[in-house]
Amino acid sequence: MKGVQTLKISISGVRGVVGDSLTPTLLVEFAQSFGTYTNGGTVVLGTDTRTSREMAKHAVLAGLAATGCQVVDIGICPVPTVQLAVERLHAAGGICITASHNPVEWNALKFIRSDGVFLSTYQAEELLDIYHQGEFRLVDSASIPRVRFYAGALEDHMRAVISCVDADLVRQRRFRVVADCCNGAGSVVTPEFLSRLGCDVIPINAEPNGLFPHPPEPLKENLGQLCAAVKEYDADLGVVQDADADRLALVSDQGEPLTEELTVSLATWLVLRRRQRSGLPPAPVVVNLSTTSLIEDIAGRYGYAVIRSLVGEANVVEAMKRSGAVIGGEGNGGVIWPDVHYGRDSLAGIAAVLQLLAEERKPISALVGSLPHYHMEKLKEPCTSERAQQVLKALKEQYAGVRMDTRDGVKLMFDDGAWVHARASRTEPVLRLIVEARSPARMAELRDRIRSHIYGG
Amino acid sequence: MKPLKLSMLGIRGVVGQALTPALAVDFARAFGTYVEGGTVLVSRDTRPSGEMLRSAVLSGLIATGCQVVDLGVCPTPSLQLAVAEDDNAVGGIAISAGHNAAEWNALKFVSGQGLLLNSYQGEELLDVFHLGHFVGAPWNQLRPAREDRAAVRRHIERVLGLLDVDKIRSQRYRVAVDCCNGACCTFTPDFLQALGCEVITINDEPDQPFPHDPEPNPRNMSQLRALVKASGADIGFAHDADGERLALVTEDCQALSEEYTLAIVADQVLARSPGTVVCNVSTTLAIDEIAERHGSRCVRTRVGQAHVVGEMLNTGAVVGGEGSGGVIFPKLNHAHDSMATAGHILGFMAELGLPISALAGRVPAYHAVKRKIGCPPERVYSVLNRIREAVEEEPDGYEVDLTEGIRLLRPGEALHVRASITEPIIRVIAEARTEERAEELAEQLTARTLAAL
Repeated sequence: MKGVQTLKISISGVRGVVGDSLTPTLLVEFAQSFGTYTNGGTVVLGTDTRTSREMAKHAVLAGLAATGCQVVDIGICPVPTVQLAVERLHAAGGICITASHNPVEWNALKFIRSDGVFLSTYQAEELLDIYHQGEFRLVDSASIPRVRFYAGALEDHMRAVISCVDADLVRQRRFRVVADCCNGAGSVVTPEFLSRLGCDVIPINAEPNGLFPHPPEPLKENLGQLCAAVKEYDADLGVVQDADADRLALVSDQGEPLTEELTVSLATWLVLRRRQRSGLPPAPVVVNLSTTSLIEDIAGRYGYAVIRSLVGEANVVEAMKRSGAVIGGEGNGGVIWPDVHYGRDSLAGIAAVLQLLAEERKPISALVGSLPHYHMEKLKEPCTSERAQQVLKALKEQYAGVRMDTRDGVKLMFDDGAWVHARASRTEPVLRLIVEARSPARMAELRDRIRSHIYGG
Repeated sequence: MKPLKLSMLGIRGVVGQALTPALAVDFARAFGTYVEGGTVLVSRDTRPSGEMLRSAVLSGLIATGCQVVDLGVCPTPSLQLAVAEDDNAVGGIAISAGHNAAEWNALKFVSGQGLLLNSYQGEELLDVFHLGHFVGAPWNQLRPAREDRAAVRRHIERVLGLLDVDKIRSQRYRVAVDCCNGACCTFTPDFLQALGCEVITINDEPDQPFPHDPEPNPRNMSQLRALVKASGADIGFAHDADGERLALVTEDCQALSEEYTLAIVADQVLARSPGTVVCNVSTTLAIDEIAERHGSRCVRTRVGQAHVVGEMLNTGAVVGGEGSGGVIFPKLNHAHDSMATAGHILGFMAELGLPISALAGRVPAYHAVKRKIGCPPERVYSVLNRIREAVEEEPDGYEVDLTEGIRLLRPGEALHVRASITEPIIRVIAEARTEERAEELAEQLTARTLAAL
């Protein structure tokens, strides 16, 4: 089963373990598939900092060039930088080489379409069809374009984000910020970005060498070093990114880790508040089904509607575009601010939080303290996909009287505001279980009740 | 069938058809597996597919844990010299289809000694490739590629070290050069200027397509002849795409057959130090006469640099090469080396105070007629076999040599028919003292081959 577990070819791209399943041959063929899919044209290419980046990048360069694509290499950068560059450079598509929050031995290709958004489910399936058919568009020697290098993508990205906030106001506050870039793609831009917003930056783990000092996922348990640094430097804020810098988590001025659900919540607060102040009409907020109910509380204050999408960045973005949403994202620390770009972007998240702090003139611990409290647990229960379907069906029957959403697994929404979202993972043989309630006791009770359905037979 | 050659020479094909990046990646992985990691040097010529294949090769080598040193656009002999002189290097890959047309490309594999893989090594590599079990280095053993742009400069210095530079400088030669927009563009003018030459170059833009097929032979040398004429140059040099082969234009604007290059050099080298000259079975009969003239010995091998080099090492030859214009100077490296060839020829001219036409005039007059007959690769060997059976039955006064293909010898005449090692064709070569006789023999041999096809 080893091979099965270390390689995932799915609608979210191709992911695998370097030196094992993720071979350069496989990467070349996927790049050729993508070049065939875009039918040549300009393709933007960026990487995170992993040690396998050069191996993977050359494989992708070869595959794209052979299909006649004009590659624009933008170097090491966050995945949102690639997305933005695709749009700005009017490219036919983009590839980002990153396994985002996966451990250091993994790498992956993420495919971006011409509007800078990840391939939709249908498009990803078309790409997979091309890969499996193995009939690639190959151009003759004279039609192979030379690779171009573009060094301005990080600059473009920083400017795009900064133009969305009142930079002078933020600069006046001279925030002290500790930035933990996890030696990932954020290393090449985040300290500079914060400096431009007038911050006194204390970077930690900001060497773009791909040697992750902790798992590159911005979860509470990975924030120990950052919390200590925030206390030590008496900072206003700590920020931590994942390896490809699309997701963001925060540490308060007290050195306490904030749940990653708060990132999109605070960004939503800022955007809706500013929008109301400028007298613009309300517009929707879009978050996925697994995101905290705090979003409804915040949107409610301003009279904004919340639309819940299926899980996955592509799904959130699709719903945002359709509804004309002004802010959105996912509870895993992914902020999507359309004024910057339709994609999860840790820099956009940082800018929104700093702007909020500058406007409110309160420490972040006080801001968070003023919000309703929720308790959430995210569980991964080992479960075959067959068993997962049985469990989901049982839940639907058992809780037939409860308000539910069955678009993506089952989300049960109880009258006291507590909810459970259960869905089968698309990438692993697990059932994902997210439980949220206003009190720890209610959360625990609900969690245990649902787990008994999984294990109780 | 798509044109693709997997052979001991490596892998050669038309880009966009048979030569895909996935194939190049797999060959690089096979080579990285074969050399068991270690430092591998990579070079390429100027073909538009060079960058794409370089990426494929780098990816494959890095994935097997090799430390890649990228020499960039660089002649193949410079790469071979760099590998030979780098104690850490376990091998090299030259991305170049040499004299083949622009739409072709190839990977040439070099051993840690700087030699093209010999047939045993080449077959081992093919076995690794076919087996498909490549080393996959884990994430913490992947090493980023290093760059080295000084290999050509070191190569130039080593060649200059073999020449009487002052003597050549004193002649102030005017030299016309056609670099064919190939790998020689970057350094040939520097090299010749270091020899005090006034250099007039054409086709020295590595970013531009090949102006003509990069095979240095008189068919492709009309531009160079015109340049020699217009500039009043003392000599004209025509390079191939990767600095291996050289052909000459004389001061009186004659484009010399590429067979002359080795013949002129061998005549001069053996005059100074008699010994053994090694060439392949297709090379002009003039070499045998020249060897005899200098009390030396001519040894003939199968076609291909690796075979010639192998025999040179066995015999301690003083010079070697092939009739294609590739000459090997064992004191420098065991590679076809057009820069070293050009330098030595200028050295001989300077030392003797003679024009190139006079050196060419010392080469016994032979006329060679070379023809190519297209033949599906799967039928080449049965065709050759039919011809062999026929001539063995009825030798017609010829001595039969089966070193490679079928070679028929009579005093002053040679007929040779063999499979190309790089393309799906049969080569027919007829050589005689007069052009008429050579044409006549070529006609007979072509007819015989077509009949067997």
